[in-house]
Amino acid sequence: MEVNGQLALTVLMGVFLIAVAAWLARVEDWRSYTPLAGGGTVGGTAEQYVSEEKPSGVIRWLTTVDHKDIGMLYGAYALVAFAVGGLMVVLMRIELADPSMTLISNTFYNSLLTSHGITMLFLFGTPIIAAFSNYFIPLLIGADDMAFPRINAIAFWLLPPAALLIWAGFFPIPDVIPAQTAWTMYTPLSAGVGSGNQMNAGVDLMLLGLHLSGVSATMGAINFIATIFTERNEKVSWANLDIFSWTILTQSGLILFAFPLLGSAIVMLLLDRNFGTMFFSVDGGAILWQHLFWFFGHPEVYILVLPPMGIVSLVLPRFAGRRLFGFKFVVYSTLAIGVLSFGVWAHHMFATGIDPRLRASFMAVSLAIAIPSAVKTFNWITTMWNGKIRLTTPMLFCIGFVSNFIIGGVTGVFLASIPVDLVLHDTYYVVGHFHYIVMGAIAFAGFAGLYYWFPIYTGRMYQVTLGKWHFWLSMVGTNLTFFAMILLGYGGMPRRYATYLPQFATLHQVATVGALILLVGQIIFVWNFVQSWLEGREVQDGDPWDLADDDLVTAEWTWFERKLETAVTDGGEDETELATDGGQTVDDTDADAESADDA
Amino acid sequence: MDEAPGLSDQYRTASPWPVFIALGIPISELGLLFGLFPLAVGGLLLFGGSVVGILKESGYVASTIRAVTALAVIFFAFGAGLAFTDIALVTRGYAVIAAAILLVVGGVVFELFVREQRQTF
Repeated sequence: MEVNGQLALTVLMGVFLIAVAAWLARVEDWRSYTPLAGGGTVGGTAEQYVSEEKPSGVIRWLTTVDHKDIGMLYGAYALVAFAVGGLMVVLMRIELADPSMTLISNTFYNSLLTSHGITMLFLFGTPIIAAFSNYFIPLLIGADDMAFPRINAIAFWLLPPAALLIWAGFFPIPDVIPAQTAWTMYTPLSAGVGSGNQMNAGVDLMLLGLHLSGVSATMGAINFIATIFTERNEKVSWANLDIFSWTILTQSGLILFAFPLLGSAIVMLLLDRNFGTMFFSVDGGAILWQHLFWFFGHPEVYILVLPPMGIVSLVLPRFAGRRLFGFKFVVYSTLAIGVLSFGVWAHHMFATGIDPRLRASFMAVSLAIAIPSAVKTFNWITTMWNGKIRLTTPMLFCIGFVSNFIIGGVTGVFLASIPVDLVLHDTYYVVGHFHYIVMGAIAFAGFAGLYYWFPIYTGRMYQVTLGKWHFWLSMVGTNLTFFAMILLGYGGMPRRYATYLPQFATLHQVATVGALILLVGQIIFVWNFVQSWLEGREVQDGDPWDLADDDLVTAEWTWFERKLETAVTDGGEDETELATDGGQTVDDTDADAESADDA
Repeated sequence: MDEAPGLSDQYRTASPWPVFIALGIPISELGLLFGLFPLAVGGLLLFGGSVVGILKESGYVASTIRAVTALAVIFFAFGAGLAFTDIALVTRGYAVIAAAILLVVGGVVFELFVREQRQTF
């Protein structure tokens, strides 16, 4: 870089650091004023008073270490990333409505393909799970907060820079182009070898961003393990630990072993690209990358799916009027999946020419992992069997989860078989299979959680009819899009291409229509979510789902009830809230009636 | 009345440091990877300063200057490793060393001129 550039950068950096120092000084001053106002005693220490008062406005969100606030931040972040990743794929699907290059260039398609995958897995999937776990794990296990509240905040704040780096190629920065490596970043393409354009700094930025999101996930995982082990209320033993906490604990264990490996592999790749090392450019380097990547990559699948399974295991029984059938076996199967997930990675590499004996052993373990997955599925179905089913929106999403998970899971069993995989490898069948899991199952469980706990984190109720529209459009859209992909795969349509042969046109158009239906559903979701948050009916009852009727109340609702009961009064006047149900005064009777409508 | 249900009596619910730790890491990474000297130094200063700040705030270290020095020694060793060994990434190594020195200077300035004005830091 030229001297002028360096100088400008130095000045910028200096000004930034001075601004940071000045801001910190102000915040510290502000804190030193709080003691008496916060109700602390005169002789108290700093910790005593600040804990009772949060700063206001934006500063509150920038400085919070409260697990519930951080959960909200994770949730907001994940939903923004979901929108970005979703709009990316809408562009791609519209482009695929016909075989020719009409809307976007082939290279831009490749860029979107790469970013869509990374965004959905690392910037939406992991954070939306962290949103639920941050908010609810301490409440479910009766802890005051996470074991390391500040580490928790650091883990979250690493994510916005990670997103900016991952998307940096799309910003108008001179000479920087988006990565086109696909999310798997296979070498030698991602090492920048050859005459392509992947030596560009955009790929380095994406790798740095991905590395950062891995650091964030690892910090979060350590925090959850410490929290669940050490911060449990004395009444919460291992025997009665709830199912969501079990899945988060297992997931955190997987993160602890998987993400640091991804981090190391990415650092090796960055060294290869920038400092002349040859980890991946010698003989066998390409296979080495695949081993390292998938040793992380397959546990990542379970990192993403176990907590959503936990949400479904928690929510589904509440609306079936029964306790979870075979609770212990659901926990055992979670642990079994966690262990087995580290023994299946090479099933992504059956077509690479690795030793056939290795392939056979990975096939065996991959088939075996279907057993604990099926145990869970049968337990969910048995929980609903003869139950008192209430088809509320969260319940619909749970049932949708089970249904899509069966299709996604069974198509996966076929892929685990070497001879079938050799035929279907690198086709749309694989794309259809894993989208049934990531969209049809993981995102559906995310929506189930968002609707189920909506009253807790907003104090209001969502609009029931819009929630159902959201579900049905998502369900139809998901199955239309991804079943068409499975059929395309049977037909031999290879994945990752911006174009296709004319015989695939119809199924591609079906998939595009499905994607547009999904888009409409998600627009309805955003509308419902935002409007209900701002103007929805206020929840007066600490048990809006009437869980007490079936003796199914869990700790977070007890906490919510206590919060409502002990809320600071605002003067005792009758609230005349802007009601969405026609302007009538809302009271408990109405609330009950509406809950009944929801059933 | 339960003033803040579910909140701890022990933990602060606000800390200014996490944001800056999280910003310091990517800025210094960018600086070191692309060899941008000012970014590397600034990012490491932000990161190092914030780490010391958060350690002090949460009571893990008693003395600011000692924590700063310890961190600076680690930075210095890393920088020296980059600059003076076979790795030979000289500019980057000097950037880390510069950050280490500035960190100590900052720590001394804070100790001598700033800390005494604040009682509740």
